[in-house]
This record gives sequence, structure tokens and C-alpha cells, in this order.
Amino acid sequence: MANQKTVLAVTDDVVLPVSSVLTIMAQLGNERFDPLIVTQASTINQFPLDSSSVDAVLAISKTSDFPSDKICGEFSRILKPGGTVFVCKNLEGQVEDMQQTIQRRVTLAGFLEPQCLDLKSIKLSTFSLSFGIKAKKPSWKIGSSFALKKPAKVLLKVNLDDDLDLIDEDSLLTEEDLKKPQLPVASGCATTKKACKNCVCGRAEIEEKAVKLGLTEDQIENPQSSCGSCGLGDAFRCGTCPYKGLPAFKLGEKVTLSRNFLEADI
Amino acid sequence: MAMAMAMGEKPRKLLVLYASQTGNALDAAERIGREAERRGCPASIVSTDEFDASYLPHEEAVVFVVSTTGQGDSPDSFKSFWKFLLVRNLRKDWLQGVRFAVFGLGDSGYQKYNFVAKKLDKRLSGIGATTIIEKGLGDDQHPSGYEGTLDPWMLSLWSTLYQINPKYFPKGPDVKISQDDLIDQPKYRILYLKQEKLESTLLTDSDIIQRARGMSPGKLYKDKSKPDCFLKMTRNEVLTKAGSTKDVRHFEFQSVSSTIEYEVGDVVELLPSQNPSAIDAFIERCDLDPESFIIVGPRETENSGVNEEMNTQLPIKLKTFVELTMDVTSASPRRYFFEVMSFYATAEHEKERLQYFASPEGRDDLYNYNQKERRSILEVLEDFPSVQISFEWLVQLVPPLKPRAFSISSSPLAHPDQVHLTVSIVSWITPYKRTRKGLCSSWLASLTPEQEVHIPVWFHKGSLPAPPQSRPLILVGPGTGCAPFRGFIAERFVQAQSIPVAPVMFFFGCRNKDTDFLYRDFWEYHTREGGMLSEEMGGGFYTAFSRDQPKKVYVQHKIREMSKKVWDLLRDGAAIYVAGSSTKMPADVMSALEEIVSEEETGGSKEEASRRLKALEKAGMYNVEAWS
Repeated sequence: MANQKTVLAVTDDVVLPVSSVLTIMAQLGNERFDPLIVTQASTINQFPLDSSSVDAVLAISKTSDFPSDKICGEFSRILKPGGTVFVCKNLEGQVEDMQQTIQRRVTLAGFLEPQCLDLKSIKLSTFSLSFGIKAKKPSWKIGSSFALKKPAKVLLKVNLDDDLDLIDEDSLLTEEDLKKPQLPVASGCATTKKACKNCVCGRAEIEEKAVKLGLTEDQIENPQSSCGSCGLGDAFRCGTCPYKGLPAFKLGEKVTLSRNFLEADI
Repeated sequence: MAMAMAMGEKPRKLLVLYASQTGNALDAAERIGREAERRGCPASIVSTDEFDASYLPHEEAVVFVVSTTGQGDSPDSFKSFWKFLLVRNLRKDWLQGVRFAVFGLGDSGYQKYNFVAKKLDKRLSGIGATTIIEKGLGDDQHPSGYEGTLDPWMLSLWSTLYQINPKYFPKGPDVKISQDDLIDQPKYRILYLKQEKLESTLLTDSDIIQRARGMSPGKLYKDKSKPDCFLKMTRNEVLTKAGSTKDVRHFEFQSVSSTIEYEVGDVVELLPSQNPSAIDAFIERCDLDPESFIIVGPRETENSGVNEEMNTQLPIKLKTFVELTMDVTSASPRRYFFEVMSFYATAEHEKERLQYFASPEGRDDLYNYNQKERRSILEVLEDFPSVQISFEWLVQLVPPLKPRAFSISSSPLAHPDQVHLTVSIVSWITPYKRTRKGLCSSWLASLTPEQEVHIPVWFHKGSLPAPPQSRPLILVGPGTGCAPFRGFIAERFVQAQSIPVAPVMFFFGCRNKDTDFLYRDFWEYHTREGGMLSEEMGGGFYTAFSRDQPKKVYVQHKIREMSKKVWDLLRDGAAIYVAGSSTKMPADVMSALEEIVSEEETGGSKEEASRRLKALEKAGMYNVEAWS
């Protein structure tokens, strides 16, 4: 179970009953703790406490000045990292302005996540409260370390419709890039299996005029295959198969021509 | 755009950012993501046009997968993202703490090989990011394409990441894919609707297309599913003469829906129809019910939760969905399709073969069988008859049916309510000696006006902005490249009736004057008195017939011949437009122009000339539309 927490209760008033402190703290969610009480604290320069020794600070006041910037700074010093400060006020009239002022003061002293609390419901014997500001001391102290998050990358927004200053993309190319590229195969189209798609040298026409079927009549009438794959179709034929380009067939049966070959040239 | 995470979602360790034009970079990115996940590293795959670059510093590891086009350009989806990275004010340490690796897809047949990846790699280092490994450069010229480089590069990536921090891969950097269990799940799910729940209203063609294509996984971020309008063909004329090796057509279209709106120089995309018997064969082969009504949506995952939207979406007939969004006869499947098929093959020899194709060892053979032969989905499924694969997988893995883009060859002023196209019918012989035809061009060639087929189309800007009539023009358009310039000249002719117009120099090229001199009558009409290319108007028409004489003559030679006049026009504020289907032509034309500028300017250097032309490019006064 949690250790006894140390709470410092401070007021600029003359008197602050312990029971009130206990009631208030209970309302604010803190059960077991050891209260230290300091009264008439408006003129204090420094609290007689070590740095980072107190779990929570409760500052109660009816005046607008307390706690001052200096005292808020002291709160920060004596609080443990992650500790909480509660600044509770009993004020008539313009509460919002005062809330903002206290919030600002507390933030400037280095506290985080200020929240505004409504304390009108807390029943106390000798005084009442209107609102409170709750804030947290950041959880690092000098010398403590924690993992740095990856630095946030700034989102760069560029409107591409504007006339932008762009670098010259051709400057990205090297001398090597600008030279004529080396073809991966032996040069010359005579070594490729067919004419290029955009053939301009006329090889395509020559190939077109070449005899389509280079097979003998016997090979068509009575096809044989020593490897056994010829009849299975182009997908299974070897590079040198004489039946390449023809449809699949059954060995011994006449090879038929598929619709590919029978299509009339328009 | 922000990456807000749902509660309980595993934070990703690896971000794969891709910039894809035709889907290759997307495939590579998905592969990288999959391989990371298999090793226990959560990964996200996001396109660069869906990622806010200002969030980059928050990432710990990013893999970039970027394509470079033939002309050295970046994909459209990369442009905004790249512009952000080029801002001069970015601090040198802005990306400190971010690790990255770049994989580029390019073609070493082009001068500007993988320029996008090279520049990106350099720039990322320059703003503080740390490389994981050296950039990988995938090359179309490699025997097995970009995968030839991707496989070893990825292994290096995983082992290096593991060394940096073993937590990336709790199972270690190597992973054995079980031969028997498929670890992955399809990304989509299909809702089949009962007959009673169907609406009774009749849908228009436009609604049907919008509904089907809106559901399709192939839909890119910025695509419009609803067609801009429907066209019907009014003319189908062969432009090339007998004896030509090519078949080039002139097509004319009218709208059957809304009014046609475009500017001269724009591009029109057509959605081709697929062969009905092929669709039927595919549906039968895959054991599907063509008449069932379906809704396609993403499958729930631990990251996304149940997709409630699907319950309120409207259904489409399965057969219609296949016809409109799944390319079964033209595009080839990717390697991953073979991997998934291997798990669903019941015949032992098929299973083995598919596993082989999906492995690094079988990659080259797969390339020969599949990519080089341009096998279609239907052909592959017929070659492996024991494979029974679910519709969910098919929806994910069958290549999406893509609209084909053409430069418009008409002018709204000169040809009101019409669209003209100049199309070369694509056909070639594969290494295995099979004849393959281009899906869209062959289909268009087969259409007649009498059929009254309605074609869904989308209009958008190309790379050729419509010039004002007061601007002198230098046009270079060999072969079908002349198409947009037919529009330019027809438009200027109409404008000339009421206001003064600036001169036009047009350089045309083809092989033989007699057989493939496209639109000969039109150009020659304009060289006569009062025409836009006539001498008295200050313009000119110049032809290069490359094979009519022993020595090859191309457009760039003709441009050089006319140095003085070209220079005069440039000084008068001429804009340069180059269009055509060639790998080298745009670069050759640029060279010729650089020579002219450096010669005509006394004391001018080649570098200075190059800078001047680049400045023209930036100012929108030097425009190139090159297609392959």
C-alpha cells in the first residue's frame, strides 16, 4: 500500500484548523497523509523544507494576492516531481478573472495541466471555499533522464500551383547517365528472335512473308514425339520443338489447325 | 490522403510507392509488397498520385518503383509528386532518418534510359534520405524484361534490410513458399444476387458501361468510368495503296449521344469490343454462369473491415462485366497469374510446369512462352486445361480491358460534329510464327457504317496544345504522325476565311511516294494558291520518301535542307510540333533543330542551342507526341 504522503497546507491567514485540511484533502481525493501546516505564509521567503520532499501542496486563501509568484516557485521547489498543487480560494464576485490569474501564475511557475475545480460543496466549520486550481509539477527533476521521443517532423505544406522555384532536374544526371546506354544482349537486331514491335527496318514484313508451317506432311499427318511433350502444347515444348506455335495434339492423330491459324487476314 | 490508422491495424514497416503508366510498375510494386508480407513485414502499396509527399519524413522505409517512357518522361501519376521533391527550398536534411531504395523500369534502347529512376535516386539522397541498396534498373531489352533485374535486386533488398534491423523480417530474410498451400487470398469478392432483388428499370448503354467499369479493379485513380459520348462509324477508307506493307485507314465518326467536344490536337480513347465467341469460350472454360448478376468489391481484410458500400451498389450481368472490363484475347497475364494457377492445377505435369514458370529459374522460359508470344488469358487457360480458378482470382488477375488512344485528325471547326482518326492496323508474326493482331485496330478495321455499332469514347488532352491562328508553325509528322496536323491545317484554313493566319511549314515522311503517301491530295491542295502550306502564305510542304532512292531520306534531312526558312520562322515566334510512331525520330528531329539553331546564330554553340530548345519546351512551344 502507498506510503504516508506528505502534504503541506499553507495559508496567509492566521489560523488553519487541521480538521479543515483533512476534510479538504479528502474531498480532493487524498486519503492518508501527513499534514504540515504553515500559517501567515504571505511573507515567507523560503519554506523550511527540502527540495522535492512533499507529495502535495494545499494553498488556501481568501485574498487575491496569495500565493504570489515567488511562493508558487517555492511550491515548485519543494514538491516532488509529479506532485500536485491545489490553490483554493474563497472569493466573492469575479471568479473567472481570479481563476485565470491563478492559472497563469501557476503555469508560469512551471506547473502543468492546470484544472479548475468547484469547491463550493465542501463543508467546513470556520470558512468556505469557492473554487480551486489544481496543477501538476512536471515529472522530471534536474538530472533525471527519460527516453526522447523521435523528433517531431515538421509537416511541409507546399502549394504546387504557385510558381515555385524548382531545381533543374537535369542537373541530377551524371556524365555516365547521359551516355548512350549499353544494351544487355549482343548488339544488332539480327540476334533477337523476332522483329521489334516498332520494326522500321522491314524485318517484320519479311517474317510475315516466310512460310508459316515448316513441317513436312508426314509430321502433320502422323506426329511423333520422342520427348513426349510436343503434343501438350506450347507451354510444354522445348525451344527446338518443330511443333512450336501449333496447338496441342494427340500423338499419332493428325495435327489440326486452331482458329488462330484459320483467321482470315482482313 | 493521410495515413490514419484504424485501431488494431499493424503499422506498416515498408511503404512501396509506385509511378506506373501502363501497369508494369504497379505489378512490380505489388510483387515487392507481396514478398515483404510473406516475410512478415507489413507493407503498403500506394501510387504516387495518391500519396502526399509532405508526409514522407514520417516513413521509416520506402521503396520507389518508377517507370520511364521512351522519351524520358515520367508517368502522369508521378508529376505532382516529383514537382514537390524538386522544390529548391527543401532542406538537405528534410528526409533524415528515412531509408529508401529505387527500382526503375525502362528500356536501354532509348537514350534517356531510366532517367526518372536515376533522377529520383539522386534527389532523395540530396534531401537527406539514406539508401538501403543501390538503385535497380529494370530493362525491357533484357531477355526476361524487368523481372530479370527485379529478382536479384529484391533478394539484396531483403538481406540488407534484415542486417539493418532483424525486426523487419521476424521469419528471416529468406522465405520458402509452400508448394501446397497458397498463402495469399484474392483481393476482391463477388456478391451474387438473387433474381428477385433485381431492379426492373432498363439501363442505357452508358449506365451499363459506367457501372461495370466503375467496379473493375483495373480502374485507375483518375479514370472516368462513364464514357464522354458514343460514336458510330460513318466512313472506313483504306489510305495505303496496293503494294504497301502497311494497312492505314481513315475513319470518320459521328456522335449518337451527346455533342462532341474537343480541340484540335486532342486525343480520343476508344473502348474496343471483344470477339463474342472468345468471351463465350472463356466463360465456359472457367465454369461461370454468364447470366448471373454480380457486384464486385474489395474483400475485407484486417486493415479495411467489411465493405458496407457493396450492399448498396447496383449489380451487373457477369457476361457484361467480362466483356467490358476483362481482356481475354489480347493482353498477356503476369507472372503472378502463373503462380496462382499452379495451386489450382490438378494434373501433375501442369502443376509442375506452372511452378517452374513462376520460379526465378523458369523466368526466361516464361518470358518466351508468354510475354514474347503475347499469349492471351484464354490461350493460357486452354494450354493448362486442368486449372480451375475462382472468379475472384480471375477478376484480380485477368488484365483489365484498356481503351486505346488515338490522336484526332479532324478539326471541330472544319469538321463540325465529327471525329476523324488515322489508324495503322497492327499485325505481326510472333517468334513461334503465329499471327497476332492488335485488338482495337483490327476491330475498327472490321467495322462498317451499316452495322451502326456504338463505340464508347473519352476525350482528353494529349501533348499537342491547339495553337492560336497567329502563331507560325513548324510541323513534323511522318507516317501516321501527320494525323493531328491534318486537323491543325484544316482548322487554320477555316480561320483564314475571316482573320489573318500565320505561316505553316509541314514536314512529312513515309517509305514510298506511290503506296503510303497518306492524305496526299489534302496536302497538295494546300500547297496551291490560297492553301495553308503555299509559298505565298509563307509556308511550305516538304516530303521525305525514305525508300524511293538508294539513300535513306528522312524528315530530319529535309528540315536541315530548309535551315534558313526554319530559322526565320523560329525568330518570328514559331512553335514546333512533332508527332509520330518511332523510337528515334523525335530525337533525330531535335538534333537537326539544334544544328540549325547553333549554325544560324552567329557564334552559337550546340549547348546554347540545346538550352534554347529546352526553354521552348518548357514554354509549351516545342511539343512532342510520340507513340509506339
